[in-house]
Amino acid sequence: MNLTELIEKTAARWPQKPALVEESTVVTYGELARQVGELVAQIRSLHIDTGSRVGLAFPNGIAYVALTFALWRLNLVVVPVPTECPEEEIEEIAVAMQLAGILTPKPRTNSVVVAPDCYFTKLNPATPPDNHGLNLAFIRFTSGTTSARKGVALSHETVRDRVLSANKAFGITPDDTVIWCLPMAHHFLITIVLYIEAGATIVLARHVTAKPFLEAVNHWKGTVLYAAPFHFSMWARDNSAVQIPSVRLAVSTTCALPQDVANDFFKRYNHPLVQGLGVIELGLVALNTAAPRKKSDSVGQVAGDFQLRIVNPDADGCGELAVLGPGIFDAYVAPWVPREEVLCDGWFFTGDIGRVDEDGFLFLLSRKTAVINLAGRKVFPEEIEAVLNRHPSVSESRVYGKLHPHLGETVEAEVVLNSPDAKLYTIHAFCREHLASYKIPTRFTIVAALPRTPVTGKIRRAASVA
Amino acid sequence: MIEPLEIETKLLDFLKREVFAGNVVVTPETDLIASGFDSMSLVRVLLFIEQSYGFWIPEGEITGDALQNVRSLAATAARILNAR
Repeated sequence: MNLTELIEKTAARWPQKPALVEESTVVTYGELARQVGELVAQIRSLHIDTGSRVGLAFPNGIAYVALTFALWRLNLVVVPVPTECPEEEIEEIAVAMQLAGILTPKPRTNSVVVAPDCYFTKLNPATPPDNHGLNLAFIRFTSGTTSARKGVALSHETVRDRVLSANKAFGITPDDTVIWCLPMAHHFLITIVLYIEAGATIVLARHVTAKPFLEAVNHWKGTVLYAAPFHFSMWARDNSAVQIPSVRLAVSTTCALPQDVANDFFKRYNHPLVQGLGVIELGLVALNTAAPRKKSDSVGQVAGDFQLRIVNPDADGCGELAVLGPGIFDAYVAPWVPREEVLCDGWFFTGDIGRVDEDGFLFLLSRKTAVINLAGRKVFPEEIEAVLNRHPSVSESRVYGKLHPHLGETVEAEVVLNSPDAKLYTIHAFCREHLASYKIPTRFTIVAALPRTPVTGKIRRAASVA
Repeated sequence: MIEPLEIETKLLDFLKREVFAGNVVVTPETDLIASGFDSMSLVRVLLFIEQSYGFWIPEGEITGDALQNVRSLAATAARILNAR
């Protein structure tokens, strides 16, 4: 199958229904499908080999959505490249993911025009990528050092399965209007693709401060909010009297929801915030629509067609969370590891420690995954460590998330220096040169040595610290 | 008491150095949103203020008026800091 069937199906059923709203531009599903078709023709003329991986470095917008579906129609694999990435990071992604080219809204050296404000730069991967016969749609670049896996690959079928499963929990319908404020380069599949499959309207909110956001919600009669705790915190502390009566579902995602934000939001709007658990390898595993107030610190009951298991529980019932279900990732990329080699009898071991209560609600005690969530952006520690380790004064480093009451987590680093004369400010400047700004650690700590695992001697990955 | 001007100078320097691209001209009166100040820029400025002055600007104060330009942002930060 091909994921463009989803948009075609929606466009055929509701051609006049608004699909996307960006500032004053409203694009119907019929028009969106037509734009995708036009881009397909333009991209086809570039003669990119089927199955090639193409970087998409666009900001949130109608173009982002249309380009993704156009690439899918041509059986090209979409690799999102966050727009904040400096040139060097783009280069790194291009090499690691063996990109055949990259699409950007601004011209680059040797780029060609694809459409207005859309340019393609052809790249020449040293070796063409091998998708191992899979019908790949999407690769999430997760960085990693030379030995680690650098991406998570999903086929068209996998994305469809996880979208359909997730919507059993979200229950998005054509009557829904989603007010969107997260970066599409970080959130797209069980969100934007799901909304399109369901025929909902997506309003792209450019301003996230309370007043313009509330105006957007009420102007467009938004029914669904999907944002990070940082956003909800801002809206919870709005001191106007504006209410949001049209909203039926407000999902707080990307990291644990602080209880004061949940409470303040409820007090302000008389509407609960719903937490969930999304995992890059799995999709939406759990969603707390059943008891968002009574069990507000739970990520909810199992979502859609997933099954949960707590492995080797201790006396309190806490153990590692394993998950079985549809839409599990197809393979890790660079090096290629098919999911069969990762799963254990079909179960994916998440590394998160949790417990399930008598009503089936999942509570996470520690998220072992290394990914740091900074106000809705995913930050991978290995990527920052790789940059730090290249600085001449750094012999090794460890990057971790520090819990932050307003942002989820912030990025912090421990560095082992190889010279007493080394200056931290030069390391900070080095990061500025080589990393997207939001990835630069807000705090550096100089340490004598890093903790290592006893057997393999690997640097022990730090869990988020309070 | 901290003078708004002191925060303004520091913020301007931070924004020029860390938030805006080299070719964007930023003065205390520059319209931030129109210059490309987005949700992530906001997060970074709030973190910068927290690191520099030891307090987080309460979410209720993060309004369109406060984010109009560097001057209004600095005035907001100074007012909150001085009231503490």
